[in-house]
Amino acid sequence: MDLNGLSSDQAPPISAPLRFFLTAPLFGILAGILIFLGDADNLSSRYSLESIAITHAITIGFVSFVMLGALTQMLPVLAGISIARVGLVAKLSHLALSSGTIFMIYGLMQNVASLMLISSILLTIGFLIMILSMLVAFRNVKNITASVRAIFISLVFALIVVLMGAQLLSSYGISKLASFHFILANIHSVWAIFGFAGVLIIGVSFHILPMFYVAPRFKQFCKKRVVWLITIGLILWLVLNIFFDLYTVVAKIWIATFFWAFSTTVWKKLSARRRPISDVTVWYWRVATVFMTLGTFSWAINDFYDEKYIVMVSILIGGGFILSIMLGMLYKIVPFLVWFHLNAKGYMSIPNMNEMINKNLAKSQFLLFMISLIGFMFSYYYIEILPVFATTFILSMLILEYNIISPVLIYIRTIKTKPEFDMSAFNISVEGIE
Amino acid sequence: MSTIKEYLSLGHSHCDELFANMEDAVAKDVNTSIEAYLEFADETERHFQMEERIMFLEFETKTGMIEGPTAMMRHEHTQMRKLIGDIKVSIEDKNKDKFFGNSETLMILMQQHNMKEEQMLYPMAQQHLSAQSNRIIDMMQSMVVKK
Repeated sequence: MDLNGLSSDQAPPISAPLRFFLTAPLFGILAGILIFLGDADNLSSRYSLESIAITHAITIGFVSFVMLGALTQMLPVLAGISIARVGLVAKLSHLALSSGTIFMIYGLMQNVASLMLISSILLTIGFLIMILSMLVAFRNVKNITASVRAIFISLVFALIVVLMGAQLLSSYGISKLASFHFILANIHSVWAIFGFAGVLIIGVSFHILPMFYVAPRFKQFCKKRVVWLITIGLILWLVLNIFFDLYTVVAKIWIATFFWAFSTTVWKKLSARRRPISDVTVWYWRVATVFMTLGTFSWAINDFYDEKYIVMVSILIGGGFILSIMLGMLYKIVPFLVWFHLNAKGYMSIPNMNEMINKNLAKSQFLLFMISLIGFMFSYYYIEILPVFATTFILSMLILEYNIISPVLIYIRTIKTKPEFDMSAFNISVEGIE
Repeated sequence: MSTIKEYLSLGHSHCDELFANMEDAVAKDVNTSIEAYLEFADETERHFQMEERIMFLEFETKTGMIEGPTAMMRHEHTQMRKLIGDIKVSIEDKNKDKFFGNSETLMILMQQHNMKEEQMLYPMAQQHLSAQSNRIIDMMQSMVVKK
Protein backbone atom coordinates (compact mmCIF):
# COMPACT_ATOMS: atom_id res chain seq x y z
CA MET A 1 0.00 0.00 0.00
CA ASP A 2 1.46 3.38 -0.95
CA LEU A 3 0.75 5.45 2.12
CA ASN A 4 2.41 8.58 0.79
CA GLY A 5 0.21 8.44 -2.27
CA LEU A 6 -2.88 8.21 -0.14
CA SER A 7 -2.21 11.28 1.89
CA SER A 8 -0.84 13.44 -0.89
CA ASP A 9 -3.75 12.55 -3.15
CA GLN A 10 -6.30 13.65 -0.61
CA ALA A 11 -4.69 16.40 1.41
CA PRO A 12 -3.08 19.50 -0.08
CA PRO A 13 0.72 19.59 0.15
CA ILE A 14 1.88 21.05 3.44
CA SER A 15 3.67 23.85 1.58
CA ALA A 16 0.34 25.28 0.32
CA PRO A 17 -0.94 26.59 3.66
CA LEU A 18 2.48 26.96 5.31
CA ARG A 19 3.88 29.43 2.80
CA PHE A 20 1.00 31.77 3.64
CA PHE A 21 1.18 31.19 7.40
CA LEU A 22 4.93 31.77 7.63
CA THR A 23 4.77 35.01 5.64
CA ALA A 24 1.86 36.52 7.59
CA PRO A 25 3.78 37.47 10.79
CA LEU A 26 6.50 39.08 8.64
CA PHE A 27 3.92 41.53 7.31
CA GLY A 28 2.78 41.99 10.92
CA ILE A 29 6.34 42.96 11.85
CA LEU A 30 6.51 45.32 8.87
CA ALA A 31 3.22 46.96 9.91
CA GLY A 32 4.62 47.40 13.42
CA ILE A 33 7.77 49.05 12.12
CA LEU A 34 5.75 51.41 9.93
CA ILE A 35 3.56 52.38 12.90
CA PHE A 36 6.71 52.92 14.97
CA LEU A 37 8.19 55.23 12.35
CA GLY A 38 4.86 56.73 11.29
CA ASP A 39 3.74 60.31 11.48
CA ALA A 40 1.11 60.66 14.20
CA ASP A 41 -1.19 62.97 12.27
CA ASN A 42 -1.15 60.79 9.18
CA LEU A 43 -1.87 57.67 11.20
CA SER A 44 -5.01 59.06 12.75
CA SER A 45 -6.43 59.92 9.35
CA ARG A 46 -8.18 57.06 7.64
CA TYR A 47 -7.44 58.12 4.08
CA SER A 48 -3.80 59.17 4.40
CA LEU A 49 -1.61 57.09 2.10
CA GLU A 50 0.43 56.03 5.12
CA SER A 51 -2.64 54.70 6.94
CA ILE A 52 -3.78 52.86 3.83
CA ALA A 53 -0.35 51.25 3.47
CA ILE A 54 -0.19 50.11 7.11
CA THR A 55 -3.79 48.90 7.10
CA HIS A 56 -3.09 46.72 4.06
CA ALA A 57 0.12 45.32 5.53
CA ILE A 58 -2.27 43.85 8.12
CA THR A 59 -5.41 43.17 6.08
CA ILE A 60 -3.69 41.66 3.04
CA GLY A 61 -0.29 40.69 4.44
CA PHE A 62 -1.56 39.12 7.62
CA VAL A 63 -5.31 38.48 7.61
CA SER A 64 -5.79 37.49 3.96
CA PHE A 65 -2.65 35.37 3.98
CA VAL A 66 -3.82 33.40 7.01
CA MET A 67 -7.35 33.04 5.66
CA LEU A 68 -6.28 31.90 2.19
CA GLY A 69 -3.70 29.50 3.64
CA ALA A 70 -6.27 28.08 6.03
CA LEU A 71 -8.84 27.68 3.25
CA THR A 72 -6.49 25.52 1.16
CA GLN A 73 -6.41 23.18 4.11
CA MET A 74 -9.99 23.53 5.30
CA LEU A 75 -11.93 23.23 2.05
CA PRO A 76 -11.14 19.51 1.63
CA VAL A 77 -12.19 18.89 5.23
CA LEU A 78 -15.16 21.24 5.71
CA ALA A 79 -16.61 21.09 2.21
CA GLY A 80 -15.17 17.81 0.92
CA ILE A 81 -13.68 19.50 -2.14
CA SER A 82 -10.12 19.96 -3.39
CA ILE A 83 -8.71 22.93 -5.24
CA ALA A 84 -7.29 21.76 -8.57
CA ARG A 85 -3.45 21.94 -8.64
CA VAL A 86 -3.53 23.47 -5.20
CA GLY A 87 0.26 23.43 -4.83
CA LEU A 88 0.78 25.50 -7.96
CA VAL A 89 -2.19 27.79 -7.27
CA ALA A 90 -0.89 28.52 -3.76
CA LYS A 91 2.64 29.13 -5.02
CA LEU A 92 1.61 31.57 -7.78
CA SER A 93 -0.94 33.35 -5.64
CA HIS A 94 1.53 33.67 -2.76
CA LEU A 95 4.20 35.08 -5.05
CA ALA A 96 1.85 37.65 -6.62
CA LEU A 97 0.32 38.66 -3.29
CA SER A 98 3.64 38.97 -1.42
CA SER A 99 5.28 41.08 -4.09
CA GLY A 100 2.04 43.00 -4.69
CA THR A 101 1.68 43.87 -1.00
CA ILE A 102 5.31 45.01 -0.71
CA PHE A 103 5.04 47.16 -3.85
CA MET A 104 1.75 48.60 -2.64
CA ILE A 105 3.18 49.56 0.74
CA TYR A 106 6.34 51.04 -0.74
CA GLY A 107 4.42 52.75 -3.57
CA LEU A 108 1.95 54.39 -1.18
CA MET A 109 4.52 55.39 1.43
CA GLN A 110 6.92 56.90 -1.13
CA ASN A 111 4.22 57.99 -3.57
CA VAL A 112 5.61 56.01 -6.51
CA ALA A 113 2.84 55.86 -9.11
CA SER A 114 4.29 53.02 -11.19
CA LEU A 115 4.57 50.77 -8.12
CA MET A 116 0.97 51.46 -7.17
CA LEU A 117 -0.15 50.40 -10.65
CA ILE A 118 2.03 47.29 -10.71
CA SER A 119 0.88 46.33 -7.22
CA SER A 120 -2.78 46.70 -8.15
CA ILE A 121 -2.23 44.25 -11.02
CA LEU A 122 -0.21 41.80 -8.91
CA LEU A 123 -2.68 41.84 -6.03
CA THR A 124 -5.64 41.34 -8.34
CA ILE A 125 -3.93 38.40 -10.02
CA GLY A 126 -2.84 36.92 -6.69
CA PHE A 127 -6.29 37.10 -5.16
CA LEU A 128 -8.18 36.04 -8.28
CA ILE A 129 -6.05 32.92 -8.86
CA MET A 130 -6.90 31.71 -5.40
CA ILE A 131 -10.50 32.90 -5.05
CA LEU A 132 -11.60 31.70 -8.50
CA SER A 133 -9.89 28.32 -8.03
CA MET A 134 -11.81 27.89 -4.80
CA LEU A 135 -15.12 29.06 -6.24
CA VAL A 136 -14.72 26.65 -9.17
CA ALA A 137 -13.99 23.79 -6.77
CA PHE A 138 -17.37 24.39 -5.11
CA ARG A 139 -19.02 22.72 -8.12
CA ASN A 140 -18.12 19.38 -6.57
CA VAL A 141 -19.70 19.92 -3.18
CA LYS A 142 -21.80 16.88 -2.28
CA ASN A 143 -23.16 17.98 1.05
CA ILE A 144 -24.11 21.65 1.35
CA THR A 145 -23.88 22.64 5.00
CA ALA A 146 -24.19 26.01 6.69
CA SER A 147 -20.39 26.29 6.76
CA VAL A 148 -20.08 25.51 3.07
CA ARG A 149 -22.65 28.16 2.24
CA ALA A 150 -20.96 30.75 4.45
CA ILE A 151 -17.50 30.09 2.97
CA PHE A 152 -18.94 30.42 -0.53
CA ILE A 153 -20.66 33.71 0.28
CA SER A 154 -17.55 35.10 1.95
CA LEU A 155 -15.52 34.26 -1.16
CA VAL A 156 -18.03 36.08 -3.36
CA PHE A 157 -17.63 39.11 -1.08
CA ALA A 158 -13.86 38.69 -1.34
CA LEU A 159 -14.05 38.70 -5.12
CA ILE A 160 -16.02 41.96 -5.18
CA VAL A 161 -13.79 43.54 -2.53
CA VAL A 162 -10.67 42.68 -4.56
CA LEU A 163 -12.06 44.24 -7.73
CA MET A 164 -13.01 47.40 -5.83
CA GLY A 165 -9.54 47.45 -4.29
CA ALA A 166 -7.94 47.19 -7.72
CA GLN A 167 -9.90 50.22 -8.91
CA LEU A 168 -9.05 52.23 -5.79
CA LEU A 169 -5.35 51.44 -5.81
CA SER A 170 -4.89 52.04 -9.52
CA SER A 171 -6.65 55.38 -9.24
CA TYR A 172 -3.93 56.46 -6.79
CA GLY A 173 -1.47 55.18 -9.37
CA ILE A 174 -2.83 57.47 -12.09
CA SER A 175 -3.43 60.26 -9.56
CA LYS A 176 -7.03 60.58 -10.61
CA LEU A 177 -9.60 59.86 -7.94
CA ALA A 178 -13.11 59.24 -9.20
CA SER A 179 -16.02 61.24 -7.76
CA PHE A 180 -17.23 58.09 -6.03
CA HIS A 181 -13.74 57.20 -4.74
CA PHE A 182 -14.44 57.58 -1.03
CA ILE A 183 -17.83 55.89 -1.23
CA LEU A 184 -16.18 52.96 -2.98
CA ALA A 185 -13.37 52.91 -0.43
CA ASN A 186 -15.93 52.75 2.35
CA ILE A 187 -17.82 49.88 0.70
CA HIS A 188 -14.52 48.12 0.03
CA SER A 189 -13.53 48.22 3.69
CA VAL A 190 -16.94 47.41 5.19
CA TRP A 191 -17.55 44.46 2.87
CA ALA A 192 -14.00 43.20 3.43
CA ILE A 193 -14.37 43.25 7.21
CA PHE A 194 -17.93 42.03 7.61
CA GLY A 195 -18.58 40.25 4.32
CA PHE A 196 -15.29 38.48 3.70
CA ALA A 197 -13.61 38.10 7.09
CA GLY A 198 -16.72 38.22 9.29
CA VAL A 199 -18.87 35.78 7.33
CA LEU A 200 -15.90 33.42 6.87
CA ILE A 201 -15.18 33.40 10.59
CA ILE A 202 -18.85 32.78 11.40
CA GLY A 203 -19.10 29.94 8.88
CA VAL A 204 -15.95 28.21 10.03
CA SER A 205 -16.81 28.60 13.70
CA PHE A 206 -20.04 26.60 13.22
CA HIS A 207 -17.73 23.63 12.91
CA ILE A 208 -14.57 24.64 14.73
CA LEU A 209 -16.09 25.30 18.14
CA PRO A 210 -18.10 22.07 18.49
CA MET A 211 -15.20 20.16 16.91
CA PHE A 212 -12.17 21.40 18.78
CA TYR A 213 -13.70 22.12 22.15
CA VAL A 214 -16.71 19.76 22.14
CA ALA A 215 -18.87 22.86 22.66
CA PRO A 216 -22.64 22.62 22.11
CA ARG A 217 -23.61 22.86 18.46
CA PHE A 218 -25.00 26.11 17.06
CA LYS A 219 -28.79 26.31 16.78
CA GLN A 220 -30.32 25.67 13.37
CA PHE A 221 -31.63 29.25 13.20
CA CYS A 222 -28.12 30.56 13.69
CA LYS A 223 -26.62 28.20 11.14
CA LYS A 224 -29.31 28.65 8.52
CA ARG A 225 -30.20 32.34 8.79
CA VAL A 226 -27.46 34.48 10.31
CA VAL A 227 -25.18 34.56 7.28
CA TRP A 228 -28.11 35.47 5.01
CA LEU A 229 -29.30 38.15 7.42
CA ILE A 230 -25.83 39.67 7.52
CA THR A 231 -25.60 39.52 3.73
CA ILE A 232 -28.96 41.29 3.41
CA GLY A 233 -27.73 43.86 5.95
CA LEU A 234 -24.58 44.50 3.94
CA ILE A 235 -26.52 44.96 0.70
CA LEU A 236 -29.03 47.23 2.45
CA TRP A 237 -26.13 49.23 3.89
CA LEU A 238 -24.65 49.54 0.38
CA VAL A 239 -27.90 50.93 -1.04
CA LEU A 240 -28.41 53.34 1.87
CA ASN A 241 -24.77 54.41 1.73
CA ILE A 242 -25.06 55.36 -1.93
CA PHE A 243 -28.57 56.82 -2.08
CA PHE A 244 -29.78 57.63 1.45
CA ASP A 245 -26.63 58.38 3.37
CA LEU A 246 -28.52 59.73 6.38
CA TYR A 247 -30.14 56.38 7.09
CA THR A 248 -27.09 54.10 6.94
CA VAL A 249 -27.23 53.78 10.70
CA VAL A 250 -30.30 51.51 10.32
CA ALA A 251 -28.34 48.97 8.29
CA LYS A 252 -25.32 49.35 10.54
CA ILE A 253 -27.34 48.51 13.64
CA TRP A 254 -28.86 45.56 11.74
CA ILE A 255 -25.41 44.17 10.92
CA ALA A 256 -24.00 45.01 14.36
CA THR A 257 -26.86 43.16 16.07
CA PHE A 258 -26.09 39.89 14.32
CA PHE A 259 -22.35 40.12 14.95
CA TRP A 260 -23.05 40.93 18.57
CA ALA A 261 -25.44 37.94 18.76
CA PHE A 262 -22.76 35.77 17.19
CA SER A 263 -20.12 36.99 19.65
CA THR A 264 -22.40 36.33 22.61
CA THR A 265 -23.23 32.88 21.29
CA VAL A 266 -19.54 32.03 20.90
CA TRP A 267 -18.86 33.15 24.47
CA LYS A 268 -21.73 31.00 25.78
CA LYS A 269 -20.69 27.97 23.71
CA LEU A 270 -17.15 28.24 25.02
CA SER A 271 -18.43 28.42 28.58
CA ALA A 272 -20.50 25.29 28.00
CA ARG A 273 -17.70 23.37 26.26
CA ARG A 274 -17.12 19.82 27.39
CA ARG A 275 -13.33 19.81 27.15
CA PRO A 276 -11.56 21.02 30.28
CA ILE A 277 -8.52 22.44 28.47
CA SER A 278 -7.96 26.19 28.42
CA ASP A 279 -5.11 27.29 26.20
CA VAL A 280 -4.23 30.44 24.27
CA THR A 281 -6.59 29.45 21.49
CA VAL A 282 -9.53 29.57 23.91
CA TRP A 283 -8.27 32.88 25.29
CA TYR A 284 -8.05 34.30 21.77
CA TRP A 285 -11.64 33.26 21.02
CA ARG A 286 -12.83 34.78 24.30
CA VAL A 287 -11.18 38.16 23.79
CA ALA A 288 -12.30 38.21 20.16
CA THR A 289 -15.95 38.08 21.25
CA VAL A 290 -15.46 40.95 23.69
CA PHE A 291 -13.65 43.12 21.15
CA MET A 292 -16.27 42.37 18.50
CA THR A 293 -19.14 43.32 20.77
CA LEU A 294 -17.48 46.66 21.53
CA GLY A 295 -16.28 47.17 17.97
CA THR A 296 -19.46 46.39 16.14
CA PHE A 297 -21.58 48.84 18.14
CA SER A 298 -18.90 51.53 18.03
CA TRP A 299 -19.03 51.16 14.26
CA ALA A 300 -22.83 51.35 14.21
CA ILE A 301 -22.93 54.68 16.04
CA ASN A 302 -19.64 55.98 14.67
CA ASP A 303 -21.43 58.39 12.32
CA PHE A 304 -22.70 60.42 15.27
CA TYR A 305 -19.16 61.11 16.43
CA ASP A 306 -15.98 62.32 14.86
CA GLU A 307 -15.19 60.39 11.67
CA LYS A 308 -11.74 59.89 13.14
CA TYR A 309 -13.15 57.37 15.63
CA ILE A 310 -13.13 54.90 12.77
CA VAL A 311 -9.48 54.27 13.71
CA MET A 312 -10.66 53.05 17.10
CA VAL A 313 -13.29 50.85 15.45
CA SER A 314 -10.58 49.35 13.22
CA ILE A 315 -8.45 48.48 16.24
CA LEU A 316 -11.42 46.85 17.99
CA ILE A 317 -12.74 44.85 15.04
CA GLY A 318 -9.64 44.38 12.87
CA GLY A 319 -7.17 43.81 15.69
CA GLY A 320 -9.33 42.58 18.53
CA PHE A 321 -11.70 40.34 16.62
CA ILE A 322 -10.25 39.28 13.27
CA LEU A 323 -6.54 39.16 14.16
CA SER A 324 -7.22 37.43 17.48
CA ILE A 325 -9.11 34.63 15.80
CA MET A 326 -6.45 34.26 13.09
CA LEU A 327 -3.76 34.03 15.77
CA GLY A 328 -5.67 31.46 17.79
CA MET A 329 -6.22 29.40 14.66
CA LEU A 330 -2.53 29.43 13.72
CA TYR A 331 -1.65 27.90 17.09
CA LYS A 332 -3.91 24.94 16.35
CA ILE A 333 -3.48 24.44 12.65
CA VAL A 334 0.33 24.68 12.20
CA PRO A 335 1.34 22.03 14.78
CA PHE A 336 -1.46 19.77 13.57
CA LEU A 337 -0.41 20.06 9.93
CA VAL A 338 3.17 19.18 10.81
CA TRP A 339 2.08 16.21 12.93
CA PHE A 340 -0.41 15.02 10.32
CA HIS A 341 1.95 15.18 7.35
CA LEU A 342 4.85 13.55 9.20
CA ASN A 343 2.58 10.85 10.51
CA ALA A 344 1.12 10.22 7.08
CA LYS A 345 4.64 9.79 5.74
CA GLY A 346 5.19 7.01 8.25
CA TYR A 347 7.12 8.88 10.95
CA MET A 348 5.42 7.70 14.09
CA SER A 349 7.84 8.67 16.86
CA ILE A 350 7.35 12.42 16.62
CA PRO A 351 6.36 15.04 19.20
CA ASN A 352 2.62 15.50 19.73
CA MET A 353 0.97 18.85 18.95
CA ASN A 354 1.45 20.33 22.40
CA GLU A 355 5.15 19.57 22.36
CA MET A 356 5.77 21.56 19.19
CA ILE A 357 5.12 25.08 20.50
CA ASN A 358 6.47 26.35 23.81
CA LYS A 359 3.37 27.12 25.90
CA ASN A 360 5.02 29.97 27.80
CA LEU A 361 6.08 31.65 24.58
CA ALA A 362 2.55 31.31 23.23
CA LYS A 363 1.22 32.94 26.41
CA SER A 364 3.80 35.75 26.18
CA GLN A 365 2.81 36.33 22.57
CA PHE A 366 -0.86 36.55 23.60
CA LEU A 367 -0.08 38.96 26.41
CA LEU A 368 2.08 41.23 24.25
CA PHE A 369 -0.61 41.28 21.57
CA MET A 370 -3.29 42.27 24.09
CA ILE A 371 -1.05 45.00 25.57
CA SER A 372 -0.47 46.34 22.05
CA LEU A 373 -4.19 46.45 21.22
CA ILE A 374 -5.12 48.26 24.41
CA GLY A 375 -2.07 50.50 24.02
CA PHE A 376 -3.09 51.41 20.47
CA MET A 377 -6.48 52.53 21.76
CA PHE A 378 -4.93 54.76 24.42
CA SER A 379 -2.45 56.07 21.87
CA TYR A 380 -5.42 57.56 20.07
CA TYR A 381 -5.59 60.10 22.92
CA TYR A 382 -1.93 60.17 23.94
CA ILE A 383 -0.14 59.88 20.62
CA GLU A 384 3.33 60.09 22.18
CA ILE A 385 2.95 56.60 23.69
CA LEU A 386 2.30 55.00 20.29
CA PRO A 387 5.94 53.88 19.65
CA VAL A 388 5.90 51.89 22.90
CA PHE A 389 2.96 49.83 21.70
CA ALA A 390 4.27 49.58 18.18
CA THR A 391 7.28 47.91 19.83
CA THR A 392 5.18 45.45 21.84
CA PHE A 393 3.26 44.67 18.64
CA ILE A 394 6.49 43.99 16.74
CA LEU A 395 7.67 41.75 19.59
CA SER A 396 4.39 39.83 19.60
CA MET A 397 4.70 39.23 15.85
CA LEU A 398 8.35 38.17 16.19
CA ILE A 399 7.41 35.63 18.86
CA LEU A 400 4.51 34.46 16.71
CA GLU A 401 6.86 33.86 13.79
CA TYR A 402 9.20 31.91 16.07
CA ASN A 403 6.28 29.92 17.51
CA ILE A 404 5.00 28.80 14.13
CA ILE A 405 8.46 28.23 12.65
CA SER A 406 9.29 25.82 15.51
CA PRO A 407 6.91 23.05 14.33
CA VAL A 408 8.00 23.63 10.73
CA LEU A 409 11.63 23.13 11.77
CA ILE A 410 10.63 19.85 13.43
CA TYR A 411 9.08 18.85 10.11
CA ILE A 412 12.18 19.75 8.10
CA ARG A 413 14.53 18.07 10.58
CA THR A 414 12.49 14.87 10.62
CA ILE A 415 12.33 14.68 6.84
CA LYS A 416 16.07 15.35 6.57
CA THR A 417 17.27 12.94 9.25
CA LYS A 418 14.76 10.26 8.25
CA PRO A 419 14.48 8.42 11.56
CA GLU A 420 13.56 4.72 11.27
CA PHE A 421 10.02 4.18 10.07
CA ASP A 422 7.88 2.56 12.69
CA MET A 423 5.39 0.66 10.58
CA SER A 424 4.11 -1.63 13.31
CA ALA A 425 0.94 0.39 13.69
CA PHE A 426 0.02 -0.23 10.08
CA ASN A 427 0.18 -4.00 10.51
CA ILE A 428 -2.73 -3.76 12.89
CA SER A 429 -4.73 -2.01 10.22
CA VAL A 430 -3.97 -4.59 7.57
CA GLU A 431 -5.02 -7.40 9.90
CA GLY A 432 -8.11 -5.46 10.82
CA ILE A 433 -9.31 -5.44 7.23
CA GLU A 434 -11.18 -8.58 6.38
CA MET B 1 -34.84 3.58 10.68
CA SER B 2 -32.07 6.12 10.18
CA THR B 3 -29.83 6.28 7.15
CA ILE B 4 -26.22 5.03 7.12
CA LYS B 5 -25.10 8.66 7.17
CA GLU B 6 -27.21 9.52 10.20
CA TYR B 7 -26.35 6.32 12.04
CA LEU B 8 -22.59 6.67 11.68
CA SER B 9 -22.63 10.47 12.26
CA LEU B 10 -24.42 9.85 15.57
CA GLY B 11 -21.61 7.46 16.41
CA HIS B 12 -19.14 10.34 15.97
CA SER B 13 -21.04 12.53 18.43
CA HIS B 14 -21.18 9.68 20.92
CA CYS B 15 -17.41 9.14 20.66
CA ASP B 16 -16.84 12.92 21.13
CA GLU B 17 -18.87 12.77 24.31
CA LEU B 18 -16.87 9.81 25.64
CA PHE B 19 -13.66 11.57 24.64
CA ALA B 20 -14.66 14.62 26.69
CA ASN B 21 -15.54 12.34 29.64
CA MET B 22 -12.08 10.81 29.42
CA GLU B 23 -10.37 14.22 29.43
CA ASP B 24 -12.55 15.28 32.35
CA ALA B 25 -11.61 12.15 34.26
CA VAL B 26 -7.89 12.70 33.68
CA ALA B 27 -8.14 16.39 34.60
CA LYS B 28 -9.79 15.41 37.90
CA ASP B 29 -7.64 12.42 38.83
CA VAL B 30 -5.43 10.50 36.46
CA ASN B 31 -5.32 7.54 38.87
CA THR B 32 -8.98 6.74 38.40
CA SER B 33 -9.34 7.64 34.74
CA ILE B 34 -8.65 4.30 33.08
CA GLU B 35 -12.33 3.34 33.08
CA ALA B 36 -13.30 6.47 31.16
CA TYR B 37 -10.42 5.77 28.78
CA LEU B 38 -11.61 2.21 28.14
CA GLU B 39 -15.14 3.36 27.51
CA PHE B 40 -13.91 5.81 24.90
CA ALA B 41 -11.34 3.46 23.34
CA ASP B 42 -13.79 0.53 23.10
CA GLU B 43 -16.56 2.59 21.56
CA THR B 44 -14.19 4.18 19.06
CA GLU B 45 -12.77 0.78 18.11
CA ARG B 46 -16.32 -0.46 17.64
CA HIS B 47 -17.06 2.46 15.33
CA PHE B 48 -13.87 1.81 13.31
CA GLN B 49 -14.74 -1.85 12.90
CA MET B 50 -18.35 -1.13 11.91
CA GLU B 51 -16.89 0.89 9.08
CA GLU B 52 -13.92 -1.28 8.14
CA ARG B 53 -15.61 -4.67 8.39
CA ILE B 54 -19.06 -3.73 7.10
CA MET B 55 -19.74 -0.34 5.55
CA PHE B 56 -16.41 0.16 3.75
CA LEU B 57 -16.54 -3.39 2.38
CA GLU B 58 -20.07 -2.94 1.09
CA PHE B 59 -19.08 0.40 -0.44
CA GLU B 60 -15.98 -1.04 -2.08
CA THR B 61 -17.88 -4.03 -3.46
CA LYS B 62 -20.63 -1.84 -4.87
CA THR B 63 -18.44 0.90 -6.36
CA GLY B 64 -15.23 -0.97 -7.08
CA MET B 65 -13.34 1.91 -5.43
CA ILE B 66 -10.76 0.09 -3.33
CA GLU B 67 -7.93 2.59 -3.29
CA GLY B 68 -10.24 5.61 -2.98
CA PRO B 69 -11.67 7.35 0.06
CA THR B 70 -12.07 4.16 2.12
CA ALA B 71 -8.35 3.44 1.88
CA MET B 72 -7.63 6.96 3.12
CA MET B 73 -10.09 6.52 5.99
CA ARG B 74 -8.57 3.16 6.94
CA HIS B 75 -5.17 4.81 7.01
CA GLU B 76 -6.46 7.51 9.35
CA HIS B 77 -8.04 4.86 11.59
CA THR B 78 -4.56 3.40 11.93
CA GLN B 79 -3.14 6.78 12.89
CA MET B 80 -5.87 7.18 15.50
CA ARG B 81 -5.40 3.66 16.90
CA LYS B 82 -1.73 4.47 17.42
CA LEU B 83 -2.61 7.69 19.29
CA ILE B 84 -5.26 5.93 21.38
CA GLY B 85 -2.53 3.44 22.36
CA ASP B 86 -0.18 6.33 23.25
CA ILE B 87 -2.94 7.85 25.39
CA LYS B 88 -3.25 4.61 27.34
CA VAL B 89 0.49 4.58 28.02
CA SER B 90 0.38 8.20 29.25
CA ILE B 91 -2.49 7.33 31.62
CA GLU B 92 -0.60 4.28 32.90
CA ASP B 93 2.49 6.45 33.39
CA LYS B 94 0.32 9.07 35.15
CA ASN B 95 1.82 11.64 32.79
CA LYS B 96 -0.86 14.33 32.44
CA ASP B 97 1.18 16.57 30.13
CA LYS B 98 1.80 13.75 27.72
CA PHE B 99 -1.84 12.72 27.98
CA PHE B 100 -3.18 16.17 27.05
CA GLY B 101 -0.64 16.52 24.24
CA ASN B 102 -1.76 13.22 22.76
CA SER B 103 -5.44 13.85 23.40
CA GLU B 104 -5.23 17.27 21.70
CA THR B 105 -3.58 15.70 18.67
CA LEU B 106 -6.10 12.88 18.57
CA MET B 107 -8.98 15.31 18.94
CA ILE B 108 -8.05 17.33 15.85
CA LEU B 109 -7.14 14.26 13.84
CA MET B 110 -10.43 12.64 14.82
CA GLN B 111 -12.48 15.73 14.02
CA GLN B 112 -11.03 16.37 10.61
CA HIS B 113 -11.43 12.65 9.89
CA ASN B 114 -15.09 12.76 10.96
CA MET B 115 -15.69 15.82 8.84
CA LYS B 116 -14.28 14.14 5.77
CA GLU B 117 -16.47 11.11 6.38
CA GLU B 118 -19.59 13.17 7.01
CA GLN B 119 -18.93 15.52 4.10
CA MET B 120 -17.72 13.05 1.53
CA LEU B 121 -17.81 9.38 2.28
CA TYR B 122 -21.16 9.00 4.06
CA PRO B 123 -23.13 10.93 1.42
CA MET B 124 -21.44 8.80 -1.26
CA ALA B 125 -22.20 5.63 0.67
CA GLN B 126 -25.78 6.67 1.21
CA GLN B 127 -26.14 7.32 -2.49
CA HIS B 128 -24.72 3.95 -3.55
CA LEU B 129 -26.08 1.81 -0.75
CA SER B 130 -29.48 3.35 -0.03
CA ALA B 131 -31.37 0.21 -1.10
CA GLN B 132 -29.42 -1.88 1.41
CA SER B 133 -29.38 0.79 4.10
CA ASN B 134 -31.47 -1.16 6.66
CA ARG B 135 -29.55 -4.40 6.19
CA ILE B 136 -26.19 -2.65 6.59
CA ILE B 137 -27.27 -0.80 9.73
CA ASP B 138 -28.60 -4.09 11.19
CA MET B 139 -25.26 -5.73 10.50
CA MET B 140 -23.36 -2.87 12.10
CA GLN B 141 -25.59 -2.93 15.17
CA SER B 142 -25.21 -6.66 15.69
CA MET B 143 -21.48 -6.77 14.96
CA VAL B 144 -19.25 -8.26 17.65
CA VAL B 145 -16.04 -6.29 18.09
CA LYS B 146 -12.90 -8.27 17.33
CA LYS B 147 -10.17 -7.84 19.91
